Amino acid sequence: MRVVVADDVMLTREGIVRLLKESGIDVVAEAEDADGLLRHVQLTQPDAAIVDIRMPPTHTDEGLVAAQQIRAEHPEVGVLVLSQYVEPSYAMRLLEEHPVRVGYLLKERVFDVAILVDALRRLADGETVIDPTIVSRLVGRRRREDPLAELTEREREVLGLVAEGLSNKAIAARLFVTERTVEAHVKQIFLKLRLDTNPESHRRVLAVLAYLRAGVGAD
Amino acid sequence: MAAAGSAARLRFAGIAVLVLTLICAIASILAVPRSTEPFTTYAGATYAHASTAAHAADLAAGLGLLSAGLLGWVEPRTRRLGLLTLLAGIAWFGPDWEGWDGGSPFLRSLGAVVTPFFLALLFHLVLALPLGRLRSWPVRVVVIAAYGVAAFVSLGRALFRDPFLDPYCWRNCLYNSFLVHADPGVARTLDQIWLRSSLAIGLLLVVMGAWRLLTASGPARRVLLPPLVPGVLAGGAASAYAVALLRTPLEDPRSAGFSSIFLALSLSVAVLALGLARGVLETRRTRAAVSRLAGELGEAPPPGTLRDALAAAVGDPALEVAYWLPEAQRFVDGRGYRTESPVPGHGRAVTPIVRDGRPVAFVVHDAALLEGPALEREIGSAARLAVENEQLQAEALAQLEDLRASRARIVETGDAERRRLERDLHDGAQQRLLALSYDLRVARAGAEAGGDQGNATLLASAGDEAQAALGELRELAHGIYPAILAEAGLAPALATLAEEAPLPVELGEVPPERYGTPIETAAYLTVAEAIADAAGRRATFVSVDVARENEQLVVQVRDDGAAGASALLNIADRVGALGGSLEVRPHSVRAVIPCE
Repeated sequence: MRVVVADDVMLTREGIVRLLKESGIDVVAEAEDADGLLRHVQLTQPDAAIVDIRMPPTHTDEGLVAAQQIRAEHPEVGVLVLSQYVEPSYAMRLLEEHPVRVGYLLKERVFDVAILVDALRRLADGETVIDPTIVSRLVGRRRREDPLAELTEREREVLGLVAEGLSNKAIAARLFVTERTVEAHVKQIFLKLRLDTNPESHRRVLAVLAYLRAGVGAD
Repeated sequence: MAAAGSAARLRFAGIAVLVLTLICAIASILAVPRSTEPFTTYAGATYAHASTAAHAADLAAGLGLLSAGLLGWVEPRTRRLGLLTLLAGIAWFGPDWEGWDGGSPFLRSLGAVVTPFFLALLFHLVLALPLGRLRSWPVRVVVIAAYGVAAFVSLGRALFRDPFLDPYCWRNCLYNSFLVHADPGVARTLDQIWLRSSLAIGLLLVVMGAWRLLTASGPARRVLLPPLVPGVLAGGAASAYAVALLRTPLEDPRSAGFSSIFLALSLSVAVLALGLARGVLETRRTRAAVSRLAGELGEAPPPGTLRDALAAAVGDPALEVAYWLPEAQRFVDGRGYRTESPVPGHGRAVTPIVRDGRPVAFVVHDAALLEGPALEREIGSAARLAVENEQLQAEALAQLEDLRASRARIVETGDAERRRLERDLHDGAQQRLLALSYDLRVARAGAEAGGDQGNATLLASAGDEAQAALGELRELAHGIYPAILAEAGLAPALATLAEEAPLPVELGEVPPERYGTPIETAAYLTVAEAIADAAGRRATFVSVDVARENEQLVVQVRDDGAAGASALLNIADRVGALGGSLEVRPHSVRAVIPCE
């Protein structure tokens, strides 16, 4: 697998590159800002780009903007945005325009190389990757009358994995059940939560995140 | 002494004007014949002979001007305009005196002398609206030229025109008491000069009047409209009259063309007189309102009263009052906020209000609506004291405003410092710790590959420690300053706050637009502190509503916790520094933050 890494802080960039090389992933280019990143993606046509959310010049959301641009111009290139903020709004902004082949992970998460490599694979398979910390915070949010209370333990587990961006197949593998069982769970969850998105669509991650974020069920 | 002398002169002039007007009015009523009287061109005739309508219109126009003029003369602010109107009224009756069948030859000759001045006076009157002054030198030059031509023609005719020798004569074909040398050729030339000049004056009146109307400010236009529109129409009728005479030298009041022109002119002049009278009454009301201010201002007025009262009294909503603060070396308004230096221009005039030889306030007003000296005169001494009080109050308020601004700066400096700290943590310690954890991971993989199980375990636990430290550091940085607030705004930051809260938080729709950092920070911290306080009082539920109401951001947090809500003093300070207010009740916190 070939990737481009963009991070303006050399220390972290080199750390990530070392981790990737350790796992046998081919880092074809490194960039320290959005312009360099876009240039390298154009030149090398990698499988994925790993992008720091905060880059020069304003150190705010340059990474998100670059990610969206890559997704728009190079549909085959997956983008994994790394951030130090547990902020669902950033993750959702990423999903809004291009709901597949994008990921939002906390930087400390990729310390576990397996997770990093897994995320890159999932992007290549056309899935979405949302950091489990964000998902667990959204799922675990205090609600006055919790609609999630209607879900069974297993259904809640499946809901979390859907929110993390896993496909039914991946969820099945993770939970050691058949894909058909997962499908049934997902259908049931969408029914119970009255989500009107097609449970099999690319947009289901965004729909679930938005649902969790709205904090509904208060009245 | 000089003032006393001028007052006496004024009284004398007043009596003189009154007597003159009465004589003129009586003479004119006598002179104007009933339409039933026979129309005899050799003895004497006027338009009033032609029809009942012309008779009524003639009297309405002339007496209307005389009455409006007298009304204007009595009101000090419109004295100049009143005098002009009176003179125009007298000149209006010129033709009637001239055609007075049975009137004294001298008076009939005088009528002929006076007649041409009507147009010049009308011209002057309309262009001098609404206060009786001509505003620019080109207008002054044109008006003087109109008087010049009228005087030249009038004098020339008096000296050289023998009506008996004039083939087109009709009003008075017998008398000219001032004749020195009869010369029909000169008289004819003068007639031609006058017709062309009156055509030009009429047209100029239409153009300049219309231009004045189009370029006047809103409040000035409101005042100008009633007299200016009929004034312009009268100018049009005067030029039509000149054109008709140029084409048909023999004037016939009974012909459809001439009589309709006369009717149009008389009606316009009558409506003009009404408009002028209305203006005088309006001015009198304004003056009375300004005089009344004294009483109203005396009773401990709230800040800004003088401005509002003056604006209402003068009918100029854009009126401003500025106070000079000598110590702070700047101008402020009645509420103590800094204002621009009052500068005249663009139709605005600046009038200082002086007390004890020292200007205490400057009034910026529409130059067309109010004359500075009149305002200065009419603001009585009691009002002056009130104005000075308001100046002192403005000064105190300005100092308070300075204090508030300095508080806002302190809060802002603190916030900037926190933001910087958060950035330093993010870009410094957090990055180093990240790199360290990555390195530990690589080292552990190496140790595992080399079969060094002891070191691998050690490195694994070091890696976990680094991860834990990273998590704590992230929380710390977020606590110091939530980066999402600065980068994405209030709505996403509050959403995150609601998700992290230790109790259910229902967040209403937050307006998505951005406000300044201080406003967003104050709103965010209001919500954060109110949630923390509610959690401390074992609330089971908090609702947060943020709305923009006019120029204010209103943040409302309600909870169902136990009694004893904390006063949230630091938040009150912060909101207060932005000119807002914080209201803490047993189960609700409400912050109102200005955000224009």
